[in-house]
This record gives sequence, structure tokens and C-alpha cells, in this order.
Amino acid sequence: MADWFTLAAVFLLLSVAVALGRCWRGPGPVERIMAAQLAGTGVIGVAVVLGAARRDAAMLDAALIGTLLAAVAVTAFARSAAKPGDRPEGRG
Amino acid sequence: MTAAFDIILCLLILGTAGIALFVRDALAAIAFFIAFGNLLGLAWLGLDAVNVALAEIALGAGVTGVLLILARARLLALGDDATCADTSAWLRVGALAACGGFVLLLAAAVLSIPPESGLDRAITPLMPALGIENRVTGVLLAFRAYDTLLESFVLLGALVAVWSLAPAGVWPGRPADLGMADGPMRRVAGSFARFLLPVALVMATYLVWAGSDVPGGAFQAGTVLAGGLIVSAIGGAIGLPRSDLPGLRVALVLGPLVFLLIGLAGTGFGGFLVYPEGLAKAAMLSIEYSLFLSIGATLALLVTGPNVIGLADPAGGTERKSDC
Repeated sequence: MADWFTLAAVFLLLSVAVALGRCWRGPGPVERIMAAQLAGTGVIGVAVVLGAARRDAAMLDAALIGTLLAAVAVTAFARSAAKPGDRPEGRG
Repeated sequence: MTAAFDIILCLLILGTAGIALFVRDALAAIAFFIAFGNLLGLAWLGLDAVNVALAEIALGAGVTGVLLILARARLLALGDDATCADTSAWLRVGALAACGGFVLLLAAAVLSIPPESGLDRAITPLMPALGIENRVTGVLLAFRAYDTLLESFVLLGALVAVWSLAPAGVWPGRPADLGMADGPMRRVAGSFARFLLPVALVMATYLVWAGSDVPGGAFQAGTVLAGGLIVSAIGGAIGLPRSDLPGLRVALVLGPLVFLLIGLAGTGFGGFLVYPEGLAKAAMLSIEYSLFLSIGATLALLVTGPNVIGLADPAGGTERKSDC
């Protein structure tokens, strides 16, 4: 069972690598931050899977903290990126 | 399969660290720094050092990422273009030599530690007297409590240092206004903050309580609280208080003060920072809960900083130019 979890962790880690590739490509600030958030989601997934593989509930706490603070980071970014007349609906 | 996981993780950590260091665009550097912090947290999880992983994910990736994003926004608002200036070649070589030397020194120190010399053997027999199970908390708040006490004062000192940079015209006023400028976005952020702040409070309270027996503790919990406070300030759900408000000052010094008082009370039981027998857990929890409140408030105010934007002093913008 733990082997399957490790396999899943490797797969998730590879998806993080792909997300980081998108973060590198950009081109704009929004793409970069969203890609970083995607990578963060993948990392949280790895933490959950690691916790399941090792039967360590404390690793879920790490995942929870990561989730909570990622939301703060993206809110802070939205604040700094917000300019009047620059609404998402305008970009489709 | 575990080896594959470790190798990919190491490559990702080195790659994100390199990009965060060498990329020119400030926002790309910040994005990769956040990813780097999260991946480093995973590495600590992989090493079964969950306490360190919590601190890295909360402080290294979480609050530091928010701080960098807000700092970039503030630099842009002050007229700085927030890009890396060209540095002279000898400065680069010097920095490389200094950092490389430090890395070698650190690696030599780490490699010189024999694998069997962990603190575990020394600490495990002492833990039952404390009444808690988390050995990291035991070290931080009992065996090496002096270090933690000083650390809590360092954090307070950092806030005083940031405050002392405030221009005379805005002191002692409210900290910088973090609120969203755009009306509809502010409402979205506000309702999100009203949802997130209670969750952050529950999570932080749990982390302090759990810290006695499983990974957790006041620093991680304080970081989560600070995250909730910052989101609330951005959404306008709470207003950050004036820096001369007595209640705020009490909240800031409560943790270090309670720590110091309990430590001084210990002199009646055999020495500074000695806890009375049977009351060790109660003493440590009182310290941790008051520390958690102070750390949360201090970190939130450190990230916010004094209000310099409102001054609109173009002359001040030139001396603010950072050379990266």
C-alpha cells in the first residue's frame, strides 16, 4: 500500500515540475503566480500522500497550513495587481 | 521508488533556488521563492522532521512570500521599478566566494556530526518529567528555554526596528493600508477574509495545543494567525489598529512578558526558567498561548509596516532606491 502512495507522490512531484515550467514561461505576473499556486497545490498533495504512506497525521497539519497561507499569498497578489478597469471579466 | 522521489525533489529544490536567485523579474523570483519554500518543507517531511516542515511551510513559504509580494507592490507604488540593478563583477565574485566558503563550512560541520550523536538519547529520559510528548517543544521551552526567550524578544525588536523607520509625519498612526483599492474585489476579499479568519484562529489554537504532544507550536500557530489577520486587513474585514493603542502594545509584549515572569518565578524552584514539578506543562502552555498571540500580532504588523505611501513625497523616492 505504501508503495502505491510513493508512486502517487512521485507522480504529483512530476506535476509540480510541469507547473514550475509554466511559472518559468509566464509570460505575465498572473500566469506566474497562478502557476506557483498550482505548484503549491501539488506540494500539498504530496504532503497528504506522504502522511498517508507513513501514517503520520501531523503531515496533514503541514498540508493544512500550506493551504491556508497560499490563500493569503494569492490575495496579497490580487491586491497588488488590481488596478481600476483591470477586471478579470474583461479578459474573458 | 523512494530514491526516485528523493532525487526529483532534490532537483526541484536546486532548480527553484537557482531560478529564484538568478531571474531578473522580481515577481518571477518571488513565485519561485514560494515554490522553493514549499518544496523545502516537503524535504523536511521526507526526513520525518515535521516540526521543521511546519515552520518552513508557514514562515519560509507562507508569510515570507506574502511579505515579498507586498514589498514589491509597495516599491512599485513608490516609483521603484523593482528590478535587479547591474552589480559590478568583483562584487559578484566576492559574494560568490563568501557564500561558497560559508556553504563549505556548513557542509563540513554537518558531515562532521556522527550519525549516532542525536539529542534523542539525552532527552528521552527527561521527557516524562515535563508531561509532554513532543521532544522539540521540550527542547524549545524547557531544556533550551533561554534561547526561545531571547528569540521572542528578537521578534519584538524587529518590529521596533521597522517602526523606527516610519517617517515622523505618520507616527504614531495606523500601519499601511492593505485594503484592496477596487470596490468589488474588496467585497470578495472581505467575505473571503470573514471565512478565513475564524478557520485560521481554530487552526492556530489547535497547533499550539497539539504542539505539546505532536508537531506544532507557538511560532507556527502565530504565523497562521498573522496570515488570517493580513487577509482580513486586505479584505477590510478588520482595520489594523494605531501603533500607540495600549491594547495593541499589551498584545505585542504579552508573550515575552509572560515567558519572562514565569522564568523569574522559576527562581523560587531552583533557578531561572525552572518549572515547578507537576506544573511544567501548564507553565509551558501558558507561555505558548501568550507567545502565539504576540507572534501573530507582531508578524502581521511586520508584514504591514508603517504607512509611507500616503506621504506622496517624490523626493523620498530617490533615497529609497534599492540596489537589489
